[in-house]
Amino acid sequence: MSSIAPSTVPVRDVGLTLKQAHWRWMLTLAVACGALFVFFPFFWMAVTSLKTAPEIQRVPLQIAPDHWFNLGNYIEVFKRQPFLRFLLNSTLVASVAAVSSVVVSSLAGFGFAKYHFPGRNVLFLAIVGILMVPFQSVVVPLYVWMNDLGLLDTYAGIVAPDLVSVFGVFLMRQAIEMIPNDYIDAARMDGGSDLRIFFSVILPSVKPAIATLLIIKFMWSWNEFFWPMVITTSPEMKVVTIGLMSFTNMYFIEYNLLTAAAVLSILPILLIFVLLQRWVVQAVVMSGLK
Amino acid sequence: MQARSMFGILVMAMFVASAAPDAALAQQKKLVLWTHWDQNPEFNKWYAMKGQEFAKKTGYEVEVVTVPYQGYEAKYLAALMAKNGAPDMFMGMTHQWCGQYDFCDKMPADLAKMYDDNLPKYMADIGKWKGVRYGIPIEHGNFQQMYINVDMFRKAGLNPDQPPMKFTGDWIADMKKLTIADPKGGEPAQVGFAIRSKGAPVGITDKFLPFAHAFGARMLSPDLSKATGYANSPEMVAALTFFGDLVNKDKVASLSFGNPEDAFGQKRAAVIFRESWFYGWVKKNAPDVNFKVYALPCEKTCPGAGALFPWTDLVYKNSPNKQVAWEFMRFISNAKDDMEHHQLQGILPVWTANLESDYVKSRPDYQSTKAMLAQPVPPTYFHPKSNELATAFGEAVVGVLFGKGQPKALLDEAAAKMDRILKD
Amino acid sequence: MHEWYRLVFPKNHLDRRKRAGFLFVLPALLFFGFVYLLPLGQSIMYSFYKIVPGGAREFVGLGRYEKVLTDDTFWAAVGNTVQLVFLSVPVTVVCALAVALGLNRIANLKWRNVWASMYFLPFATSLVAAALVWQWIYEPVYGVLNYALSYLGIPPQRWLQSLTQVKPSIAVVSVWVRIGFDTMIFLAALQAIPEEYYEAARMDGANAWQRLRYVTLPMLNAQIIMVCILELIFNFKVFDQVYATTQGGPGGASQTIIMLLYDTAFKYFRFGDASVMAVFVFVTLMVITLLQWRYLRKPIEY
Repeated sequence: MSSIAPSTVPVRDVGLTLKQAHWRWMLTLAVACGALFVFFPFFWMAVTSLKTAPEIQRVPLQIAPDHWFNLGNYIEVFKRQPFLRFLLNSTLVASVAAVSSVVVSSLAGFGFAKYHFPGRNVLFLAIVGILMVPFQSVVVPLYVWMNDLGLLDTYAGIVAPDLVSVFGVFLMRQAIEMIPNDYIDAARMDGGSDLRIFFSVILPSVKPAIATLLIIKFMWSWNEFFWPMVITTSPEMKVVTIGLMSFTNMYFIEYNLLTAAAVLSILPILLIFVLLQRWVVQAVVMSGLK
Repeated sequence: MQARSMFGILVMAMFVASAAPDAALAQQKKLVLWTHWDQNPEFNKWYAMKGQEFAKKTGYEVEVVTVPYQGYEAKYLAALMAKNGAPDMFMGMTHQWCGQYDFCDKMPADLAKMYDDNLPKYMADIGKWKGVRYGIPIEHGNFQQMYINVDMFRKAGLNPDQPPMKFTGDWIADMKKLTIADPKGGEPAQVGFAIRSKGAPVGITDKFLPFAHAFGARMLSPDLSKATGYANSPEMVAALTFFGDLVNKDKVASLSFGNPEDAFGQKRAAVIFRESWFYGWVKKNAPDVNFKVYALPCEKTCPGAGALFPWTDLVYKNSPNKQVAWEFMRFISNAKDDMEHHQLQGILPVWTANLESDYVKSRPDYQSTKAMLAQPVPPTYFHPKSNELATAFGEAVVGVLFGKGQPKALLDEAAAKMDRILKD
Repeated sequence: MHEWYRLVFPKNHLDRRKRAGFLFVLPALLFFGFVYLLPLGQSIMYSFYKIVPGGAREFVGLGRYEKVLTDDTFWAAVGNTVQLVFLSVPVTVVCALAVALGLNRIANLKWRNVWASMYFLPFATSLVAAALVWQWIYEPVYGVLNYALSYLGIPPQRWLQSLTQVKPSIAVVSVWVRIGFDTMIFLAALQAIPEEYYEAARMDGANAWQRLRYVTLPMLNAQIIMVCILELIFNFKVFDQVYATTQGGPGGASQTIIMLLYDTAFKYFRFGDASVMAVFVFVTLMVITLLQWRYLRKPIEY
């Protein structure tokens, strides 16, 4: 049953049988248990961030930290690195990457989904092919190329490989394919240009996909490590992931600081997710009532 | 509608994004030094500090960039190949960046002579490639020493002031006394030796080499051109058999104990072989462990102060500021600065003159370091392909530890592989 | 060729339509070309060269291909990667589908968002940080997993340090990371299925299982394909989790192709060989994707 209750529900479905209710409850329980299991490492991360280094090493294992409000690790993280600046940088880079991806991917998705031009499948495959190239083998030539463009150690340099998402093109294509052709033909009858159709028919119809892409791309870009590490040198340009890695080195890992930094780096994403989730729900509810 | 405003945002964001940091300010002349020594922030900061003084003389400051250790090779390679954005000085292994690649500038003759005169004998070759000096060794204490848990020794009826001296003699006997087996046949509650069994094979080779050298074996021929006959010599087989037996026969070491450092810190292992940075780690992470540091045990010969990863400061060949870079190197190349630099971070200084200073004498590893430096210099493997060779060798060691095969067979295989690598 | 000419100089209404489609796709193409074309070309070029000590390059034609493709270590890495893919991908896709179906059924929107956010959280963490936390969870002596298992009477396992358990352990981490991503995609798609279809099925007397099979799954076909392709690609290229934790150990049991590629390029300085491996990965993934695309795709009937 969907959460939007249409008025045309036949009478016999209104009352759930005991068996159906039983299954529904089991399902919810299963989902909830799974969620808790998936969440557990975060709980562990958060708890560890409140422990001191000797506490972490302690055997036998102790789940709770000695002092529940020991924020020493968090303070140390900010002391060691300009972590606030990192958060800012990551936010900027991830936002640009997300927005740019949505724009270009929806355009491309529209082109691939609803138009049949020569080379359509080959070009689509070429784009998906980008994903199949291991980044590690491309990183040095890419760096040299960025250097030629003068983009070393700049925001543009960090975000450049991230501006369009292959996944985005894929997702948008799927989503736009689902739009019935009648809607488009109707708009075309009304004399709309292709671009007009894009804005007035296509975009509103794929709001959930757009929100999904925005969130996913933002997160993906936020968690990039390798490329930002290679392209940045000044401390002011580094991003959160690089800051995280500074608590590991060739000899050992400082778990207390690493987990504190990791918690700090998740908080902004949680915020964005919560905000955008509302929008997703809104969008879906509205489209459901169409 | 939102779509149009999204476009607007995008354009604006791109505009902001193309801004480079502080590009508008007048550029202060500076030398850039790259290092991946994340764990030594004070050491790294010192360069910048000295750079302030240096700037008064020459107008050039020094900027230190710390690169994360994970992935540093890719970052170095990309920058050094692209030339632009490359550092003027960088910290790395001489035989890799100067031997495999051609990124290093030769050290001026006078400076090179100064180092030849002032480095301890076992460091003489560090920073050199084919007899020519390119780099300055920065780490002195990166050879393994024996750390023992004093309390565990006492509990086992052993005297912590008289450490074992021979691997196949008192050392293995002590290890057995320090191991508390599980009566049910499971994993022991406590082991004698904290063995390194996880991670990349290179690291495992690094930890096994003291055993190999003690038994009189070496990984490669003295001219580093051949592996067969050396990596699989009878001495090496004996060493690897002894090492494997620690886990499989004598059971004084266990593969289930995770990180050897953690095992030692949690008092589940009584002995660990680690470098001089380790006592700082113990003080911070396991302050209640009462430990002492001694020279490694010997067998046919003594392992000596050997290192697979000789870190050095190098000057980039294509740097427009390389003359000034060497000036800076000259500026900090004296006993006093060497002392100050290393003492700041709590690591051993490099100059021979500093090895008898009060600071060094006050360290827990003073006597053991002296003892190990007095031993003959062990074989070194400063070959451009050292990573790959050590990995191939390490696979044999891991194979023996995990019971995947017999030492002789695995070593023969590894030696053949190493020869293939050398010939390629 | 004739078609391309018509694309640039459209003769009629239909041609104009085709050109419009091409123009929509153009920004994406231009971007990818601008950023990746040159580096990709160079990378492929490297696969025909050998870097000699000193840094100079030497053209060797297919020599590096021969060397890499006959190397045992390389094929061992391929084997490890394939095993990891088989362990991770089906589990991820099936679990994500199950979770999405379950979430879709939850009537209370607030709770649905809470559970959905939890599933999605792993995706919000840096892969390396997550891998390190998992490594610690898996720690044989003081990791929380063995601690919990000890209450069930199960003896401590070696997990990441066991030759046999290391791959499933890494697979669990991979599934954990990716499940939220796929769940989200499935959930969004599920919510777009019109209620009328279910109504019609119910009218025809279909039970829940049949509704799943004949309404839901066909409607999700496109997303399932996409998720399968993406999961396969990402798991084939797995690197960060393994590099941060086992580094290919113990004894090479968890060394994946990309790990070997990275080591070959940056630790062994054999750029040409690394490029050969990159070409291998690309070709393999392309072939598998094409096969998946061809044989799993079913047209959607409205």
